[in-house]
Amino acid sequence: MAAFLLRRLGHAMLVLLVVCTVTFAIVHAAPGGPSLLADPKLSVAERAAIAERLGVDRPIPEQYARWLTRLARGDLGNSFLYETNTASTIAQRLPNTLLLAGTALLITIVVAIPLAAWCAERPGGWLDRIAGALAMGAISIPVFWLGIVCILVFAVRLGILPAGGAVGAEGGASLADRARHLVLPSLVLAAAGTAELLRYTRASARQQYARPFVRAARAKGVGERAVRWRHAMRNALIPAVTVIGLQLPRLVGGAAITETVFSWPGMGRLGIEAALARDYPLVMGITLVVSAGVLLASLLVDVAYLALDPRIRPDQS
Amino acid sequence: MTMRVPTLPHGAWRRALSGALALSGILALAIVVACGGESVPHSATGKAGNGGTLRIPLINDPILDPVIAPDIGSVMVNKVLFPGLVRPDEQLRPTPDLAESWSTSADGLRITFKLRPGVKWHDGAPFSAHDVKFTFDQIIDLASGSRLRSDFAAISGVDVDDSLTVTFRLRTPFAPFLTLLGYNAGILPKHLLQGAPLTAATDFNRKHPVGTGPFMVQTVVPGTSLTLVRNPYYYGTPPRLDRIVFKVVPDLNAQVAQLRAGELDLITIEPANLASVQGAPGIEVLQVPVVQHYYVALNTTRGRFHPAEVRRALGMAINREAIIKGVLRDYADLPRGTIPVALRDYFADSIAPTPYAPDSALAMLARAGWRRGADGALRDAHGSTFDIELLVDKGNPTREQSALAVQQDLAKIGIHVSIRTMEFAALVRDRILPGNFDATLIWWTTPPDPDQYAFYHSGQDNNNVKWSNPRADSLLSLGRITLDSTQRRAIYHAFQRVEMEDPPVLVLFYPREIQAVTARLEGFPSLGIRDALRHSERFALRAK
Repeated sequence: MAAFLLRRLGHAMLVLLVVCTVTFAIVHAAPGGPSLLADPKLSVAERAAIAERLGVDRPIPEQYARWLTRLARGDLGNSFLYETNTASTIAQRLPNTLLLAGTALLITIVVAIPLAAWCAERPGGWLDRIAGALAMGAISIPVFWLGIVCILVFAVRLGILPAGGAVGAEGGASLADRARHLVLPSLVLAAAGTAELLRYTRASARQQYARPFVRAARAKGVGERAVRWRHAMRNALIPAVTVIGLQLPRLVGGAAITETVFSWPGMGRLGIEAALARDYPLVMGITLVVSAGVLLASLLVDVAYLALDPRIRPDQS
Repeated sequence: MTMRVPTLPHGAWRRALSGALALSGILALAIVVACGGESVPHSATGKAGNGGTLRIPLINDPILDPVIAPDIGSVMVNKVLFPGLVRPDEQLRPTPDLAESWSTSADGLRITFKLRPGVKWHDGAPFSAHDVKFTFDQIIDLASGSRLRSDFAAISGVDVDDSLTVTFRLRTPFAPFLTLLGYNAGILPKHLLQGAPLTAATDFNRKHPVGTGPFMVQTVVPGTSLTLVRNPYYYGTPPRLDRIVFKVVPDLNAQVAQLRAGELDLITIEPANLASVQGAPGIEVLQVPVVQHYYVALNTTRGRFHPAEVRRALGMAINREAIIKGVLRDYADLPRGTIPVALRDYFADSIAPTPYAPDSALAMLARAGWRRGADGALRDAHGSTFDIELLVDKGNPTREQSALAVQQDLAKIGIHVSIRTMEFAALVRDRILPGNFDATLIWWTTPPDPDQYAFYHSGQDNNNVKWSNPRADSLLSLGRITLDSTQRRAIYHAFQRVEMEDPPVLVLFYPREIQAVTARLEGFPSLGIRDALRHSERFALRAK
């Protein structure tokens, strides 16, 4: 197990380097360049002075070499947009994103898996039909629309929940205040993920129920509860873990649209701002953190496979 | 029927449970860390009042330094925190602010300001002429990261005569000087910023700015909000509000929703948002002409756009009134030239606007060698069609719809317009600056002065269409060195007449800023929000 983890860690470092190189190339190839230089009112001399200060007047390979050298010293550089240290800018946003995406993921898991088990056992039942219809809706409705509608209903019309932000504008960030601000964005963010997980898990569970070992277990007189959870669902969860794993990167990457609609100060919105402004140091910093998160998530998924299915061995993966 | 609640047998489920617990642990940690935020309590706070809290949106975290701030949001906050020597009144004329009075030498090359005595910075330190000199030394320094340098290129030096008197030496007389002093040039504290580059003063720029304005920063929560409280040392009329909170709300639809939910008090909207605020309880819609002109820029280095009569003809083929009515919902004014109606002293309303006359446009184009063929398309003598690629920035409905209207109007006279939407930064850097465009739908926001030398004088960096008209050149050169306002008015009226004959760009409209505000707001001057924020001490909220 230790050797497996060590090998995966080595791979991860290599992947990170490749991701950074490719991102650096792509973000520099994108049209426009840093928004600081795109102010049409700047004179030629002013534009040149800004480019020199930011270091973007140098050849791109040189800029990359400088970035890597600084990275080796643990310095992610200064954001163009914010004139602040990239690492501390990211550190300010990361807790908010962990909170929002984590809550959404928790809602997803807690709602989708028990519901999927229930629906798989009674296909075509009333709950299965309602859940199926809701899931279809949740997958089809665009997040920005669902978000705005929720704001209009719960904040504007009913006035029971705040329309946006992570805390009240006038400070006083009590736990209750934070929780109230968390309700709408986390539910909207969880909607599509829950629907997806529900559909995958339900389908996978249905397959398991039809397999001979479930019938064999029942024939042996195993109790229905044990058949469901120990035999059918345990096997049904392997694809579900994959789906959950795909959602894990959001814990660090944030959800750009939901965060924008709900004015949530998280990583997703920061990433969008950085990309639109061609804030190269910030884009690279976010890429680094998010890719590290993705790699960690995929490692966790592999470990979860091992736990769920003893037939999968580390040396085979 | 009994509910069958899923139970958790041993093995996998125990691990799943511990996973969920771990996730909850991370969440709890996140809550604690996020709660901590980056709150920065300020030592001094304003004395209690009953004026309430005004909440205004920003789209991102501002840079709290008026000299290096590059974006509109930062400009708005800085107008409250950092007063300038003068500020614009409701006629956009400069009136005293940090300066009490001023005098100009006979040759117009020296302007001396008497500063208001007894002014203190937010930290209690005394304000003096040294701060003014420090600020302008930074502004005109190319290496400082200053965004105001081109506004003040006429300054050759700043002298401190005594602690309350400062003299600006100019290279040439410069008529817009006072207006520009009241525009973005907030004064910075020398005692806190000297010795290091302005761009490196992160703590000042992000958390602890110190100005002399009626409100000062109490708390900054990155990505969320900026809370301003009364400045107890403020030199002017004591502020009526208790607090101004700038909330980061990046999405315009979300801003509208928050205004309706009572979580914001003052926003500016696009005509497309009008339907969602008009008639909403407790919300008023205000409109103010602003110093902007929206136009179609035609690249005059491309042969077909070079003749003035072609540009005039294209201008006559565009139905501006229909655009103002249909796209702007009448929240705009019909243009004459590039000097907008908001500049009341200089806008020449005696000039007739360009008429919508497609037939005359066709006749004019025929004289320039463009005739309609059997297929209806406009062609020159070699049979080439008149095709235009019109660039417009992505995501703004007003500009995108205006581009569509221009496309349809020009189609009616046989010109094929293909619209290409691009990100604004890419549009500017990859197409406009290198001169790689036929036409683009764009706008200028200018200081409240008619000086458009930088935009329309030949050979200037901002003259992107490369327009060149000798008469306009001499008028624009004369206008900026003429200090007498009557003479200046005559010069700019003459400039606008030249523009009607030889349009540098096709001006489509002068927009009005649409402000959606809580009906409780009082004391808000009839100005664009940015200029209005120079008078924040007058704002108040009626009790509910």
